[in-house]
Amino acid sequence: MSPFFAELAIATNFSFLRGASHAEELVMAAEALELSAIGIADRNTLAGVVRVHAAAKEAGIRLLVGARLVLQDGFEVIAYPQDREAYGRLTKLLTLGNRRAPKGECHLGMSDVLAYGERHCFIAMPPAIPGKDFAGNLALLAEAFPHSVWIGLAPLYRSDDKRRHAVLARLSRETSVPLVATNDVFYHMPNRKPLHDVLTCIREHCTLKEAGFRLSANAERHVKSGEEMARLLADWPEALDATQEIVNRCHFSLDELRYEYPADSFSENETPQELLERLTWEGAREHFPGGISSKLEKTIAHELAIIEEKAYAPYFLTVHDIVREARRLNILCQGRGSAANSVVCFCLGITSVNPVEVDLLFERFVSKDRDEPPDIDVDFEHERREEVIQYIYEKYGRHRAGIAATVITYRSRSAIRDVGKVFGLSEDVVTALSRSTWGWSSAGISVEDAEEIGLDPENPQLRMALKLASELIGFPRHLSQHVGGFVITKGPLEEVMPIQNAAMEDRTFVEWDKDDLDTLGILKIDVLALGMLTCIRRAFDLLDRHYGERMTLANVPPGDEKVYDMLCNADAVGVFQVESRAQMSMLPRLKPRCFYDLVVEVAIVRPGPIQGDMVHPYLRRRSGQEKVDYPKKELEAVLKKTYGVPLFQEQAMKIAIVAAGFTPGESDRLRRAMATFRKSGTIGMYREKFVGGMIENGYEPDFAERCFKQIEGFADYGFPESHAAAFARLAYISAWLKCHYPDVFCAAILNSQPMGFYAPAQLVRDAREHGVEIRPVDVNHSDWDCTLEETGMGKCAVRLGIRQVKGVQEATAVAIERSRAGGFDSVRHFWLRTGLYPRIIERLADADAFRSIGLDRREALWAVRGLGGYASGQNGKMPAALPLFAALEEGGLQREEEMALPAMPPGEHVVLDYATLRLSLKAHPISFLRNRFAAGGVIPNARLKDVEAGRRVSLAGLVLVRQRPGTASGVIFATLEDETGIANIIIWPKLYEKRRRIVLTSRLLFVRGRVQREGIVIHVVADDLEDWTQELGLLSSEDFGEAVIARADGVKYPGHDPRDGNHSKEEQKRLRAARFVPRSRDFH
Amino acid sequence: MMFLFCSDGVPMKGERRIASLWLPFWPIERLYRDLVQRHPKIPERPRALARPGAGGLRITVCDRRAQAEGVEHGQLVPDAMALCPLLELHPADSEGDRKALARLARWCGHYTPWTAADPIGRGGEPDGILLDITGCAHLFGGEEELLSILHRRFSELGLTVRCAIASTPGAAWAVARYSRNTLSIVPLGGEADALRELPVAALRLDRAVVDGLVRLGLKRAGDLYGKPRAPITARFGAEVARRLDEALGFEPEPISPNLPHVPYRASLSFPEGLTQLLHIEEAVRRIADDLCEVLQREQQGARQLELLLFRVDGDVTQLRAGTGRPSHEAAHLARLFREKLAQAGDDFDAGFGIEAITLACLAVEPLSPMQDGFDGNETRLHDLERFLDRLSNRIGQDRVLRLEPRASHIPERAVADVPSLRGMTPAMRSWPTHRDVHRASMLGGSLPRPLRLLPLPEPVDVVAEVPEGPPRIFRWRRIAHKVTRTEGPERIAPEWWRGDRQHTRDYYRVEDSEGCRFWLYRDGLYYRNKEAPRWFLHGVFE
Repeated sequence: MSPFFAELAIATNFSFLRGASHAEELVMAAEALELSAIGIADRNTLAGVVRVHAAAKEAGIRLLVGARLVLQDGFEVIAYPQDREAYGRLTKLLTLGNRRAPKGECHLGMSDVLAYGERHCFIAMPPAIPGKDFAGNLALLAEAFPHSVWIGLAPLYRSDDKRRHAVLARLSRETSVPLVATNDVFYHMPNRKPLHDVLTCIREHCTLKEAGFRLSANAERHVKSGEEMARLLADWPEALDATQEIVNRCHFSLDELRYEYPADSFSENETPQELLERLTWEGAREHFPGGISSKLEKTIAHELAIIEEKAYAPYFLTVHDIVREARRLNILCQGRGSAANSVVCFCLGITSVNPVEVDLLFERFVSKDRDEPPDIDVDFEHERREEVIQYIYEKYGRHRAGIAATVITYRSRSAIRDVGKVFGLSEDVVTALSRSTWGWSSAGISVEDAEEIGLDPENPQLRMALKLASELIGFPRHLSQHVGGFVITKGPLEEVMPIQNAAMEDRTFVEWDKDDLDTLGILKIDVLALGMLTCIRRAFDLLDRHYGERMTLANVPPGDEKVYDMLCNADAVGVFQVESRAQMSMLPRLKPRCFYDLVVEVAIVRPGPIQGDMVHPYLRRRSGQEKVDYPKKELEAVLKKTYGVPLFQEQAMKIAIVAAGFTPGESDRLRRAMATFRKSGTIGMYREKFVGGMIENGYEPDFAERCFKQIEGFADYGFPESHAAAFARLAYISAWLKCHYPDVFCAAILNSQPMGFYAPAQLVRDAREHGVEIRPVDVNHSDWDCTLEETGMGKCAVRLGIRQVKGVQEATAVAIERSRAGGFDSVRHFWLRTGLYPRIIERLADADAFRSIGLDRREALWAVRGLGGYASGQNGKMPAALPLFAALEEGGLQREEEMALPAMPPGEHVVLDYATLRLSLKAHPISFLRNRFAAGGVIPNARLKDVEAGRRVSLAGLVLVRQRPGTASGVIFATLEDETGIANIIIWPKLYEKRRRIVLTSRLLFVRGRVQREGIVIHVVADDLEDWTQELGLLSSEDFGEAVIARADGVKYPGHDPRDGNHSKEEQKRLRAARFVPRSRDFH
Repeated sequence: MMFLFCSDGVPMKGERRIASLWLPFWPIERLYRDLVQRHPKIPERPRALARPGAGGLRITVCDRRAQAEGVEHGQLVPDAMALCPLLELHPADSEGDRKALARLARWCGHYTPWTAADPIGRGGEPDGILLDITGCAHLFGGEEELLSILHRRFSELGLTVRCAIASTPGAAWAVARYSRNTLSIVPLGGEADALRELPVAALRLDRAVVDGLVRLGLKRAGDLYGKPRAPITARFGAEVARRLDEALGFEPEPISPNLPHVPYRASLSFPEGLTQLLHIEEAVRRIADDLCEVLQREQQGARQLELLLFRVDGDVTQLRAGTGRPSHEAAHLARLFREKLAQAGDDFDAGFGIEAITLACLAVEPLSPMQDGFDGNETRLHDLERFLDRLSNRIGQDRVLRLEPRASHIPERAVADVPSLRGMTPAMRSWPTHRDVHRASMLGGSLPRPLRLLPLPEPVDVVAEVPEGPPRIFRWRRIAHKVTRTEGPERIAPEWWRGDRQHTRDYYRVEDSEGCRFWLYRDGLYYRNKEAPRWFLHGVFE
């Protein structure tokens, strides 16, 4: 029989850069050593306790939850609340300390502990040399809380252990504070010492060699068994017994925090359930004006019954309230995710997809078995989400509403970066190592990876660094605020969990993340931002103003043939979710003709279906090339809607249940295991069970493998059907706008930038191709936003807004709008009236915005520079002249010598348009080079459609997008644009390795390759590439004509000047041109 | 057109001729020279320098290999690494670059005394040298010959160089950096023609100004010729006109105001580099003879002297000496430097040889017949320090040592021997005093270890309780000791990151029945290590 011993001073890795073990590991160690109980006390935080709570619950270990309070004067005391009220005081105390300190710190003093310490058990942790300060603080604490304070007695294996223990025992006698045994644990096993040393070095910003005495001398601060502790502290048996007393005194458990929903939004004479039912039926009558079918009625009643049983009504009402407020403020919003499975949510206006229409399953959202609150995510316009957040704060108060935390953990890159530094690896080695992995990978860096980038794999330092870095992956690094996860409580939030300052001023967030809140069943709502909603709202506003059409998300005419025709033609630039290159090539193959086709379209181009190799079977079956059959009859119900091919997350989950024999709970756990921690062990277990189960039930092993692969893919970016439906809805609306009102759509999407896949230049170009007139930025006509100007022909022209001009703020545009009145007639006039600094006006001149005054950009620039404020070192920051002289000035009495400036060649104008506006309405840069290109056999992109498949062609164009999807095994997709259209290029990894530099840096790319066709989708598979960026430099040279002739002779064509020297002339041109043309948008 | 130019206060008549050298790869080539010196066989790899900038580390300069892969100035390091995964990075050291450039400029002093590092570079950093070669070129066979000598010499030093000679520093600067040719000579009065087609950046203007001019279409220097000045000055400041005038020679420009005024100098160059100290001393003696001849003729005595030794590898050793009274005795002056050279002794590094030597008087006084008295202005050394110095000098520096504490838990690594001559290091001040030790043992805190450890721990036979009991009896050097008192264990884990597979040790302080105290340890832990732990004695308390 082992003695009773509870280890009461355990730090997890949420004691950042101190604790060296995960919560689960510590609990496992405690379980293995048969400890009677454990106490978790992280440094001034409760951030890690929920994880320990969950793990301890599963292991059946008694857990004390507390914190190690490290005071400003260095005194350290562990506090364990004895009951719920004391716990509330502890969270309040930590909140107080957090709120008055900068982010990531907690400032506490003894007076604070005395104020909030009632009904706690305190363990004072003595420093290395317990001196007067320690004794003084201990006495204060013991006096304030008699019989509730202990002194922590730890065997540290230092030379003076015995003397130290004697000193502490004397102190204990003098103050009548008993001793309690602990090992002051930092890690679960002695072999974590290396990682603990590495963490110490990261914290101290030093290398292992420099660290010296900052590292601990030995590896003894791990979890030890009761026998071991009894042997080590044989002289103080009472110290072990004391652990039992503390455990007996503290009976608080985190389970007591079970959520009670806020009751604010409800009336007095109705219960929440009654209110919810009333609102739901009202909503139903409104959304189904044609009458409520009996099937619908049954569905609603079913949902309401489950909601009643689980008592979730207040939660639905809370979300409903927020959504209603957003509607009142005229902010567009839409629920996404699994909430779209619920007719109740649809009736309440939280979601805009009718789940009956697409046959969605309510149980995916709320189920009787799963004992966790539903999860409703709502998207709001990204520009106005802040208003919604403010409303929540206002309504529930900052003391009851807070933002959830996100735990930022070490990933491959950050881990090797920090560990590499600690090992003293040079900056370039560390950089090379961290580069050898994709940004978000958590797989670690293997020795093979290191070898690949030219490092010696036998180097022991390198091996150690790589091993420790992979151990470090998954460790929390710091807390940050979640993008939109809100937590709302009934009582004060700070009595439930501690609150911290965020990096942003006046922002706070709670210490727990979404998973923690889930575990404890605390209400949370995701208030997310979506750029497309902003765009749609702006489009609706413009429609109302210029066309008198009042539209909402709900009344966009459904099933419009012209919209589907447009999508089938891959005419989808700017359309939500289906505008990416991969989507655009899918559209003509899938040929969406109804809303559900769009749902499929949105979901199919995702890692899940692609990795599971489900895309092609689906397309074949849909087009009738392949017979629709089901692996087994039992799957027909699951897969009927998608021709027997699983595409959605829930289908894959259903297969696990129906075909592999999982219980619904297991299937859900499988999904979570994939999404959260990808420890090979657990996944392997599920894999066996899944694939094995399916084979046992008579499925083809190949099909089983593919299904499992697909679940793996879903883990990354899986779309459940409901989510796809919510997005498809927005895709349809944006497509409808683009189809019927391209002018409105163009202005709205430009005003919502940055968002989506395409740069303004492509959006403008697309609009022009659809017959929209675009007018240039002009000081006399442009507002900040792009506006519509009526042309009198039933259509509007888009006037580009000042927001397109690089480096100009909104305040500038407002100043211009305000002082415009009768218009400006000279640069000087403009300066005096607007009061803007000349350097700001210079930016407008550069953007060629003075044309209506009769000045081109060069003339305008000359005039601006002449305003003064440049010569005297003020750098163009001179304010306009005093009002007294303004009248005089305005007359332009000063005369200066005439200056003949060289005229700007049109090519340079275009290049400068790109430099200042990121687009040009005058011409496409390539059009100036067309003759040169034609001489080299380069065809315009538009001609591609006449080229037979398999033929070789040469193309050249500006690189719009480079994409390297994780699912395409290293293939790079690039999009080239010339004055006639775009061309899609495929670059295989082999060519990429050979032409790395060209692929990554070219702004103007020349491609020789083979044409590939699939329906109307044309790709060019590159055989070879050349960087022609320097050609762009020609556009700004006056001797352009001359250069063309030289080139036609083929004398200097094409290569670089081999001449010695740093920047050859060609190189200079390249650099200059590269500055002007905007970089491509690159996606991984 | 005739102009008067001033050079270091010495007025000169006639046209001035300036050579401008541009080292386009200066910092990276300097790095290469260092690397090659340290590891003669460095692998061929693209290399670049980087320094923290906006958004992270940014490339400041890269070599040709890296350039060919697309690496360029100002790029973020991760971008550069994506283009060129084998790129080797080194930290940029502009301070070091600047100093080395100044040395290189001084080394050019054996072509002309008026040399200076060019303060204006193409990036923000100086990357060139200006030589005032007025009246010097004929010594090397004319300007063309001088240029090719310079080019050859710099190439031998592993430096890429482009150079130009013109009548103004501005024109030489511009042509060196922007002309198509590696070597150019602008004939007298040809500046305006030479600059006409060069970009305005060649006028050594601020980047913002260049940008503004280019945007207005004034892209070449020639575009500014004959343009009205007032409007341009109003828009870009007076700098534009001034730089143009300087380059074209309408306005004088001194190249380096800080050169010492050297009234007397003599020099000698050698077809083969001198490497032997003996030969160098001999040469110095001969130069001193030449110099003293002139001094004697002019009735002057040297008070301050500077000896410059120009090394073949582009470095200069500079030695200074002063005399108590003015002197023109060649033997005496030469002896002053002989002592300096001897002092340098083994440290003296002639590199690949000394190719030229210059001896210059920095200060002279009319010769006075009186001899100054010798005043004993000796500094007082602490007696012990002086004793240690003398002892060190007598029996050898590395034989008189002090102990310096090192931050390591491992006892034998916690102390290092350092030569006593280096004096008291800051680390030594952290040795605990008697009072510290006493206080620590009363309150807790680590206990003192033996003052001296055995050079190597010696194995002992021990009777002790398993697993962690202290020794009861131990046998050391064949004598058995019965232990009466013990304290411990103090557990010390190995420094795992060194990769040596040591065991964790448990140290015990023990006292035997005779009252002698020892420091023992058990090497390894029971249950955790496979083989049975062994015992060692590591020190004796005195």
